[in-house]
Amino acid sequence: MKLKQTLILTVVLSLISITVWELYWRSQGYFPDLDDDKYLWAKTRAKVEKATENDVVLIGSSRVLFDIQVHEWEALTGTKPIQLANAGSTPLPTFHDIVENTNFKGTVIVGVTPPLFFSTTYEQAPPWFRASSRSEFYKNRTYAQRLNFVLSIPIQNSLAFISNDDEAWYDDINLKALLNTIELPHRTTNPKEPPFRRFQDIDLYRNVRMKERMVTDTAFANSIMAVWKSMLTSEPKPPPPDKEGTIEFFLKNLEKFEARGGKVILLRSPSDGFFDELESMITPRAEFWDELVAKANAPAIHYQDYDKLKNFKTIEWSHLSATDADNFTRNLVEVLLEENLITNLKTN
Amino acid sequence: MLFNSLSFFVFLVVVLVLYYTKIFNWTGKKRMLLLASYVFYGFWNPPLVILLWISTMVDWTAGNKLAVEQNLRKRKLWLLLSLVVNLGFLAFFKYRDFLLDNFTAVADTYGYGYQTQPLDILLPMGISFYTFQTMSYTIDMYNQKTERAKTFLDFALYVTFFPQLVAGPIVRAKELISQFYEEKKATAKQFIWGLFLLTLGLFQKVVLADTLLADTSDAVFGATEALNFWDAWAGTLAFSGQIFFDFAGYSTCAIGIAMMLGMILPHNFLYPYGAIGFSDFWKRWHISLSTWLRDYLYIPLGGNRFGVTRMYAALMITMLLGGLWHGAAWTFVVWGALHGIYLVIEKALKHKVPVKITFWNGIFFAFFTFTCINFTWVFFRANEFSTAKNMIESMLFLNPDGLLLLEYFDLLKVFILTALLFFTHWYMRRHTVKMVAENLPVWLFATGWAMMVFLLLIAQGSGEQFIYFQF
Repeated sequence: MKLKQTLILTVVLSLISITVWELYWRSQGYFPDLDDDKYLWAKTRAKVEKATENDVVLIGSSRVLFDIQVHEWEALTGTKPIQLANAGSTPLPTFHDIVENTNFKGTVIVGVTPPLFFSTTYEQAPPWFRASSRSEFYKNRTYAQRLNFVLSIPIQNSLAFISNDDEAWYDDINLKALLNTIELPHRTTNPKEPPFRRFQDIDLYRNVRMKERMVTDTAFANSIMAVWKSMLTSEPKPPPPDKEGTIEFFLKNLEKFEARGGKVILLRSPSDGFFDELESMITPRAEFWDELVAKANAPAIHYQDYDKLKNFKTIEWSHLSATDADNFTRNLVEVLLEENLITNLKTN
Repeated sequence: MLFNSLSFFVFLVVVLVLYYTKIFNWTGKKRMLLLASYVFYGFWNPPLVILLWISTMVDWTAGNKLAVEQNLRKRKLWLLLSLVVNLGFLAFFKYRDFLLDNFTAVADTYGYGYQTQPLDILLPMGISFYTFQTMSYTIDMYNQKTERAKTFLDFALYVTFFPQLVAGPIVRAKELISQFYEEKKATAKQFIWGLFLLTLGLFQKVVLADTLLADTSDAVFGATEALNFWDAWAGTLAFSGQIFFDFAGYSTCAIGIAMMLGMILPHNFLYPYGAIGFSDFWKRWHISLSTWLRDYLYIPLGGNRFGVTRMYAALMITMLLGGLWHGAAWTFVVWGALHGIYLVIEKALKHKVPVKITFWNGIFFAFFTFTCINFTWVFFRANEFSTAKNMIESMLFLNPDGLLLLEYFDLLKVFILTALLFFTHWYMRRHTVKMVAENLPVWLFATGWAMMVFLLLIAQGSGEQFIYFQF
């Protein structure tokens, strides 16, 4: 067996094949970027352990991720907020984690996307589990997992074909995702779901920006809207909201957090069209948001109540474009500063 | 640390560089390997390295005493100490909640209403492997079948040697400790072959087990409704392939890594799905465990020395405990029991119905064996007996209106992979990877190897744990 020649040829063939693979995906518009995964979330969560009273932690669902730009916020206030929002999830388990497992007594901005915030306290339900599993991972991650993440950053930042997001997007380019795109006749009675393509980028600070393509390519934006519609209208439909249970759970944590000096600001970000109609129908403002604000007795910002915030138009009924997110962040920070809800360390 | 992780890749490069540079003499290299092994384990959960130390200290002491002690009663006490400590670890960390649950259930049956609080203790990774490995040393010392380890360093490295620490192969002292006595260095051919085996093992784990089979198996065994015939079989076959590729992949990596260091570890899998009969299966599946159970349980229980009835009893007890070794649940016991029953029936029939194996009846018997093995995997994989019952019924056509869960692509993927797996194992019954590789032209071998590297890189994987770590 000529093993040395075999090894040399193997190395050459491997390098050629992986280079061609990388170049092919780059030619298709892919570029090196980070995955929004539990490792990145855990790294960000670790920052809360050392955060001071002047720090701001962002929790919520995807609207907080898309609409609040952490770099813009830092430029305006001198503090980079810690972005811990999780797409498609309720912020309740993350808030519970911060209250119970840290000594943080700064400001927590709680994004309220009503169908998610008021959805459930059932631990196995997807909106809860998606968030709580990340807190669990943070608590239990091994040193090897921490090192794996550190080592993966330069690779993720250098190679476009590395894409292994927790969300398992239709257009991820790992082997499993590619195999899932193979179309064969339908066998089961499950409705065929429209392809859910990644429509945002994330950086090391978990700053999420909507892809420019969402603004320039209407068909692409429409494909995301089709996903929202399918998610919310196909069977089985999501269970009705658990208003009492979720508010009670939140208030318990809020009481404990405020008792140690922490501050909470509730935030309702913009939504339009289908989402706005659905949210108004399932979780009408007066019965849900207003009641939550009254019971929490905490500062609350509803985009409809502020001239600076109410004129933003979402791209796909739920999230702002990158440019609008910059403006929204700027205006939101102005509102928060005007109302003395956060501190501007730059002027202090 | 997992073999399928970036941290392990860096770890291995550092270990190999330190091993092959001239800054250490042989003792220094062994110390480095021992320290590296503790780092390898500690990167998962540092405090649990203490268990390894305790096991090492107890068995080193017991081994030393057994080497010189002539008094039979004292020899038994030293052996007992080793067994109590190692089995005590297992009982406490692995079986405590299971034992308490069953005790509670029995107490409740008699109306005592006994309440217990499960501790939910973290199961130390690989505890079943390293405790069995160290126990084999003291038992062999007791039976005077092995020499005392020359130094504490050699013994500690035997207990902790990182390539096989957490999921085997479970190596006997005489197979490994003696390799530490003289300086070992892989030849260029050994090193490259070890690298190939590492690639092959990772390919089995990351591409075949995790990427192609795991999701189907998880979906089917996670279903709450009774499934259609095809879905149930696809799920079972997917698990059958997944557990083989996962576990054999780990063993292949371990053998490859050891070979890169110039050490030889024994085979742990020899194409088990090509086995003709169940005795043959256990000579091919998890060989280091089956030989351990044979030598330290089946033979001491009498083996075949005291008549047929005693032999069958010994066989059943061995397989039941072998099942329990895999996990603290009654489903594993049933898995072991089924294997025990298969073996008993096979032994009973062997003398009464002599069959000459030919190519055609051989492939039929291998397929029959594979099919029967698949029924056992249902109990191994199912978390609840109700799931197993549903699955078995569906696999036997008893749920004709069962749920269609999988798409055509999943079915095709699983059935094609299973067919390839079965026929590969059938062909490889009398071959080794090395024999096949030797007959390949360089370009073909290199292309196959490069394809594995390519698929590994594009599969990426999410650092899934090996299934057997939990055992």
